[in-house]
Amino acid sequence: MQKFSDLVLVLMVFVWLVRDQVSALRPICDLRVLDHFVREAQDSEIIMHGCRVDCGVTKSYFVPMTSVDFAVWEQTDVQEQAAEVQTGLSLLVQALSSARHTVISSPLASTLDNNISNMHSLGQILHSLHLQQAKSSVLPNDSALNSTQIQEISSLPELLRVQSSFLRGKVRLLLSAAPACQKQNG
Amino acid sequence: MRRDELKAVFILCLAFVTIGGQRFESKVAQLLQDDTEDLKCFVEGKKDLTCFWEEEEERNGSHDQYTFVYSYENENRRTCAISSLSLLATNRTILFCKLPQTLFFTALSLQIFRDGRMLYNRSLNVENVLFVDPPRNLTVVSSRKEGQLNVSWLPPPLKYMEDSLIYEVRYAVEGSHMGKVEVIKANTMLILRGLQAGTRYKVWVRVKPDGVSYKGFWSAWTEPAFGSTPPTDMDPLIVLLVLFIGLIISLLFLTVMLSHHKFLLKKLWPDIPTPEHKFPGLFTVYKGDFKEWMSQSNGSMWGRPVHVFPEELPSPLEVLSEVSLTTPLSSHTTSPRQDRKTMEEEEKMESEVTDSGLTDRWREPPHAHWLMEQLRALQENPESLSQPMLLESHDTYVTLNHNSQCAQGEDEGQEDNIFDESLPLQTLFTNTGKSSLSASHSDLGSLQQSSGSGRLSSQSSFEHPNHTWPPKGPGYAYMAVADSGVSMDYSPMSSNRIADLGKRVIYTNEYKNDIFGHKWPLSGHCIESGY
Repeated sequence: MQKFSDLVLVLMVFVWLVRDQVSALRPICDLRVLDHFVREAQDSEIIMHGCRVDCGVTKSYFVPMTSVDFAVWEQTDVQEQAAEVQTGLSLLVQALSSARHTVISSPLASTLDNNISNMHSLGQILHSLHLQQAKSSVLPNDSALNSTQIQEISSLPELLRVQSSFLRGKVRLLLSAAPACQKQNG
Repeated sequence: MRRDELKAVFILCLAFVTIGGQRFESKVAQLLQDDTEDLKCFVEGKKDLTCFWEEEEERNGSHDQYTFVYSYENENRRTCAISSLSLLATNRTILFCKLPQTLFFTALSLQIFRDGRMLYNRSLNVENVLFVDPPRNLTVVSSRKEGQLNVSWLPPPLKYMEDSLIYEVRYAVEGSHMGKVEVIKANTMLILRGLQAGTRYKVWVRVKPDGVSYKGFWSAWTEPAFGSTPPTDMDPLIVLLVLFIGLIISLLFLTVMLSHHKFLLKKLWPDIPTPEHKFPGLFTVYKGDFKEWMSQSNGSMWGRPVHVFPEELPSPLEVLSEVSLTTPLSSHTTSPRQDRKTMEEEEKMESEVTDSGLTDRWREPPHAHWLMEQLRALQENPESLSQPMLLESHDTYVTLNHNSQCAQGEDEGQEDNIFDESLPLQTLFTNTGKSSLSASHSDLGSLQQSSGSGRLSSQSSFEHPNHTWPPKGPGYAYMAVADSGVSMDYSPMSSNRIADLGKRVIYTNEYKNDIFGHKWPLSGHCIESGY
């Protein structure tokens, strides 16, 4: 009996150690991945500009604010930045998915699928940086997010433009300034 | 102290403003050339967005009619204060506005109104009109490797943007206008390769956003930096190989030289030819004393050709007379026959005469007695001198064709050239005659008394082989002297050897002798002419 208890204790310690090892992902600090996502988002804008038929329907989308005031941004905490970026990515995923259902054009549908996948990948990258224990939220609410950080748009071209600006701006600023990546570069 | 501090701060601020103003003007001037938009905008960093346009009409410094309105996305419209700037370089005037708020990654709308009417309208994203300052602290360092230079610089002071910039490095040989360009991304150092060794280079750098997150214009070039490439350095391995190959070649050459040193020495430093081998013992035993050597040498030496004397010493030959033996000699017709027999006997005795020196070893021919008799006959019959005396072929005579040959030397030069090696003098004796070549002067003297002004003409013939000796008939014995210039042969010849004589190279020499003090013309004279 005493041996069995000792064995259980050893197993619990072993599981605890393994779980920490699994959760400790290596931070992804290479910005070339983000640059690739940015180019693909810009390609979506170009395709959208050339789409004439079956290019989706007009509807409202809630998307993050993309403007960056460096004077304000530098005063913002990294974790707040991370939370803002994470929320914005979530909003973009939802909007892109909603728009994808209304698009019939094959090229546009394909690039939208690609963009959605890129958003999920960025979420994983942010998770690897351990900026916060941010959780993805399906729908925004006033209590969770600042209203100044969300805007409402009404067309797919605007949605794609917001996606591109968000990735080039806030997402990149956050990844380039992540403490985990600063330690590696230093 | 406080005043001094304030003054220092003021001066620094003024300096920065001045420098900043210069940079602003340069950027404006550059955009006036490069940017095609009517309303030109650029942002120098994270703030300070500037938009300007060129004033078309000159006004008196007043720009109240203009209104600058701008609005960001999801924000209200605002107005911006307009300022004017006169560019001294281009003599242009611009109106510009520095926006108080600069937001990136969002749409910006701009409108220019003049007297209530919209002049310009433009929508842009600020991150797309980035116009940064040039890089700083450009340095060029010589690399240890041949043909390389290390170039490094500092990026413009832009936080969050360093990894979004690309650089263009331009380099050229100092003094040359031809340069090359290298583009490098997100890195502030570059190694230039493939450069000329030992050359001084000039390097410039400029910067621009990479176009992914930020877009914009090329910055101005930095001030040039200079650097020199290291001189050509010989690879140690190549030096060792060259030395090793040179050593092997030297050893091979030395081996060949040692194995063939005798042959090479003979070719490069040939022995000076000496006649020592022709005179055995002359230099080794007798120390060069030729007389001693001659005296000690044996008879076997005489058979050898003598190369010592290139020319035969002239041997004087005394000619007694040219005698016609037909009439005055009628009483002596029988005597030649008798004398011939005697001559044959005597010639046998003279068969060994081969001396090159005619004067030394000349023996009185056996027919000398006959000649004396002829002279006495002349004394007794002086009239015979008035007539040309012809010697019959069977008579003994001495002919010296000295003058004739010399006179005819030009005509017969080619034919007589082959006689050049021969002595000009050859005596032919017939057994019938008893003339003596060695007749002394006393004989001539006796002749002189008799002939008075007689001119003795004698003719000796060194005849060309073509000129066959007129057959003298059988029974004539004579001695022929043949000299080829190398050797002299004195051999008594019988009549049956006339044909053989014709085969010899015989030298013709005419000689006329004046017994009254006329000197014997040296045979050498004719030799010279014959030469």
